[in-house]
Amino acid sequence: MTKTTRRIVLAGAAATALPLSARGQGANDLKGTTVVFTSWGGAYQEAEKVSYCEPFEKATGAKVVQDGPMNVAKFRAMAASGTPDWDVVDVTGGFLEVAIKDGLLEKIDPKLVHLDRIDPRFVSDYGVGCIVWSYNLGFSTTAFPNGAPKTWADLFDLKKFPGKRTLLDQPVASLEVALLADGVTPDKLYPLDVDRAFKKLDTIKSQTVFWTTNSQSQQLFVDREVVAGIILNGRVYDAAQKGAKIDLSWEQNIQAVDYLVVPKGSRNRNAAMRLIDTMTVAENQTRVANMIAYSPTNLAALKGIDPKIEPWLCTTPENLKRGFVMSQTYWRDDLAKLTERWTAWKLA
Amino acid sequence: MEARVTAWLVLPAVLLLAVAFLGPVGWLLARAFTYPEPGLQNFAALWERPVYLKVVGNTLLISAIVTPIVVLLAFPVAHLMAHGSARLRRWLIFLVLVPFWTSLLVRAFATAILLQRHGLVNSLLLSLGVVEEPLPLLYNFGGLLAGCVQVLLPFVIFPLYSSMARIDPAYMKAAATLGANPVRAFVRVYLPLTLPGLMTGGILVFISTLGYYIIPALLGGPRQQMISQMIQDQIAAFGNWGIAGALSLVLLAVTGVLLLLLQLTVGLKEIAR
Repeated sequence: MTKTTRRIVLAGAAATALPLSARGQGANDLKGTTVVFTSWGGAYQEAEKVSYCEPFEKATGAKVVQDGPMNVAKFRAMAASGTPDWDVVDVTGGFLEVAIKDGLLEKIDPKLVHLDRIDPRFVSDYGVGCIVWSYNLGFSTTAFPNGAPKTWADLFDLKKFPGKRTLLDQPVASLEVALLADGVTPDKLYPLDVDRAFKKLDTIKSQTVFWTTNSQSQQLFVDREVVAGIILNGRVYDAAQKGAKIDLSWEQNIQAVDYLVVPKGSRNRNAAMRLIDTMTVAENQTRVANMIAYSPTNLAALKGIDPKIEPWLCTTPENLKRGFVMSQTYWRDDLAKLTERWTAWKLA
Repeated sequence: MEARVTAWLVLPAVLLLAVAFLGPVGWLLARAFTYPEPGLQNFAALWERPVYLKVVGNTLLISAIVTPIVVLLAFPVAHLMAHGSARLRRWLIFLVLVPFWTSLLVRAFATAILLQRHGLVNSLLLSLGVVEEPLPLLYNFGGLLAGCVQVLLPFVIFPLYSSMARIDPAYMKAAATLGANPVRAFVRVYLPLTLPGLMTGGILVFISTLGYYIIPALLGGPRQQMISQMIQDQIAAFGNWGIAGALSLVLLAVTGVLLLLLQLTVGLKEIAR
């Protein structure tokens, strides 16, 4: 069963990979090359391995070694050494901007990567978006029999929607949500009106539990510790799959992108670029989405999506329209300062 | 001759410590003065921005509250262990060791399961009619306290037990014969003899709590931010080795001062006895 599916995917990949050979890269021309791929571990990296790395190995003869999890301090140390062990790394959009500024990345080679396959919102000079995820309003389906919360303003409405809520233990996304709840429109959001955001956050602080890891955000809903809060779309999907009474709203979902990047000084730069190119193929992205419900950056990948998965993705035309992409350059410049203020706010 | 052989056998452990511990720690601490440029700017930043000092103060305060609670709870357990029957002692040692051998993470989650809104403790209180609404036991100071205390109890129980087991019961009898009432005999004779165990355990708990990371993150609330979490944030999120080094140095300095105080009051020799 799995085998058949894989063959279909590969056939698709081969068909789309045709322009590659036109550029003079025949099959098996990377035999003997080893590329180290680093991501976040778990089911996600497994999906990436099956969907990107294995087709890449088949097509080029190269070998891909899995490593991880991605760690900012490690990445920095490697790039600084000039001879990184990692060749292709899955990083968050926030780190992408920091790494560009600090010169830690190889520029993406448009001759080797089909950037036109990816929605331009998710392409950078130094990284290619591989998945999109979003911060959504998650809520308990049993706590509000008279109508569930829909908007970020509802999250701050303790009268209409009483009970404990959960926010991330970081200013990223929390400040955006506070301002959206206060009536700021997404196009006027950046630069953030920080004072106003904290003032708004004050109104629910006493009713808030803060989560530090994604699994914790999920667990808080499973244990009925909270009735609503900010949570990633994929985590609501996972919790719902496991039987939790949870759902999400797509209203003003805040989107963030994971990018594949090549650390500065990679000894396998060209092979690394071509592994990234394999990621851009629609069929490969479809496979990741069907395995783990993360949203594709190549919108053509939506065609093959399992109808059960589709409503959970943030890059379907419908959900894309209702959301917006978080400004990572804003956070690159202000993260340290605002994290300090966030901690001070929590302690106050 | 024998001493010289032993001295050589110590070498691998010393080397391992030097390479795997002292080296990296020294490197991190040096960063406090060299990152991003040589100077004292990292310490100036700690001093100028109230949030850092607040977290350091917070950490000290939490440790100062956790330590006496652990010591008070451990004392009767150790006493029973030292002076109860052999059978009771075996059971007590077993009961203290099992959680001691269990992973910290597992124990933190176990505490969370007990204390959460729909957890065991709240369900019991609700069904008994003691409370009408679930009590907020988790994600606040109480949750942090419960977690720290249960994890750290063995660190006081065992040193105390070893001190107490060495106390000759004849001392207490002698005190009674000489006219001391039980309270006086306890305070003047028994307690001073347990002091080495008490101080060792207390210091262990205090220093361990200073460095706690997982417990406050999982069980504490927004106000229970501790210094280790901040050091981790500075490195993992911002790659700011300078501030992280400076915070680590503060943590190390506080620990050093405490050990010095201990040396001046009780004497480390006494503890090592």
